[in-house]
Amino acid sequence: MSTRHDGHGHGEAPGEFQIATKVSEFEILELAVRELAIEKGLFSAEDHRKFAEWADGIGPHGGSKLVAKAWVDPEFKQRLLADGTKACLEVGIDWLQPTGSGTPSDYTFFYVLENTPKLHNVIVCTLCSCYPRPVLGMSPDWYRTPNYRRRMVRRPREVLAEFGLHLPEDVELRVHDSNQKSRFMVMPMRPEGTEGWSEKQLAEIVTRDTMIGVALPAPNRKSDTKTETLVSGGRRR
Amino acid sequence: MTAKRKFNIGDRVSVVDKTTLFHHRTQKFTRGQSGVVTEYRPEWVIPEDEAFDPAGNGRKEPFYIVRFKQDDLWPDYTGHHIDTLETEFSESWLEPATSKGKR
Amino acid sequence: MATMQYDKLLTKVRNLSPEERDVLDSPYTIPNELYAALRSVLHDVGGQPDTPQPYFLKEEEDWEMNAYLTSECLAWRGAWNSEMRRRRENDLGATEYFGLPYYARWITGAAKALVDEKLITVDELSAKIDEIRERLEAKKK
Repeated sequence: MSTRHDGHGHGEAPGEFQIATKVSEFEILELAVRELAIEKGLFSAEDHRKFAEWADGIGPHGGSKLVAKAWVDPEFKQRLLADGTKACLEVGIDWLQPTGSGTPSDYTFFYVLENTPKLHNVIVCTLCSCYPRPVLGMSPDWYRTPNYRRRMVRRPREVLAEFGLHLPEDVELRVHDSNQKSRFMVMPMRPEGTEGWSEKQLAEIVTRDTMIGVALPAPNRKSDTKTETLVSGGRRR
Repeated sequence: MTAKRKFNIGDRVSVVDKTTLFHHRTQKFTRGQSGVVTEYRPEWVIPEDEAFDPAGNGRKEPFYIVRFKQDDLWPDYTGHHIDTLETEFSESWLEPATSKGKR
Repeated sequence: MATMQYDKLLTKVRNLSPEERDVLDSPYTIPNELYAALRSVLHDVGGQPDTPQPYFLKEEEDWEMNAYLTSECLAWRGAWNSEMRRRRENDLGATEYFGLPYYARWITGAAKALVDEKLITVDELSAKIDEIRERLEAKKK
């Protein structure tokens, strides 16, 4: 199998994974760095365990909760828009975790971007893959690709169309290139057909993609189905 | 801690187009372009220093969010005229708007 | 790389370059325009021409989450910081920056940072890698 990039990639897995029957050289390198770091006292095994426990607990459910609560509680919505980091505490998300001063990569400057009938927001980080981990967990793999980073700033309507999202001409599309210390999350509009729903029901339709801004919530849409999953060896599931 | 800011929300600013090497976080597509300051962001160590100091020490500057019109950024923009892009700069990357961008 | 034949490895390395590119093999001299392009910071890809590609989710492997955790713990305790990590990804050079999977970029940068900061030595690192490879391979048998 060739790993050369043909520039089209129709159905080709983007790269070649370590073959499952062999020990991964990346696994070896990571272990080597970690073991040396612990031996030298650069951090402790306990630090690693504590960070892992925190990372296990984060995911898009955090952001879903924030949005659902904002949809049913206008005062909370105002607090969330005014000071995202502080309002997160109300749903149990503490941006200072797990170290007491936040994660090294996420800083603590969190801002929520409100969609309106005339404005649609979408996030990208063209320089790396900055992402609001404490509220959305780890970024989806496609979000980190140079392809998304290259195109979302320059051809945003085309990229959104590839995700199945077509915005009318009179809706301003605002791309947020998260290039410094700020971390963003999109607050989508509450869709019709959800009148009387509980916060918990609402949270189920606020999926990760709707908070990145590449999809809109809908009453019957409970998962992000656009992208396929690759498993080891580059096969698709 | 908070020095007086050079720019206010609503100010029209241009992004300095200077030589850069090795590491910085000011995208090429913003250089020489003009936009409007829309948000203040807290003072923080600038990435040009932070990237070379393990302890993360360095010069601090206030940051700003600037909004650009996509039509200004890309001569071949295929979206609509109302589309915009926002991104963040430390103060020293900004100057009062010159003309309408250099490109 | 102990697991590959030398010639096979050389051929593989030789073929890493994209199919369409300016041929560069340490030219005697280059014009200013090319130098400007070469020193453009690698991560600054926003707006570069590219065609639509299918977007995937990948099943997370253990080493990937561990690479994240190890990188973050190193930053937490002051061996580096996240902006240094990002800078070191650029410092890998174009072939590795665009050639390595996402978290492989992180952990390769971390290893290099520890060496550069004199927190570990290269021979310690390679000895540790060989020791761990042996250990893991024995476990797999």
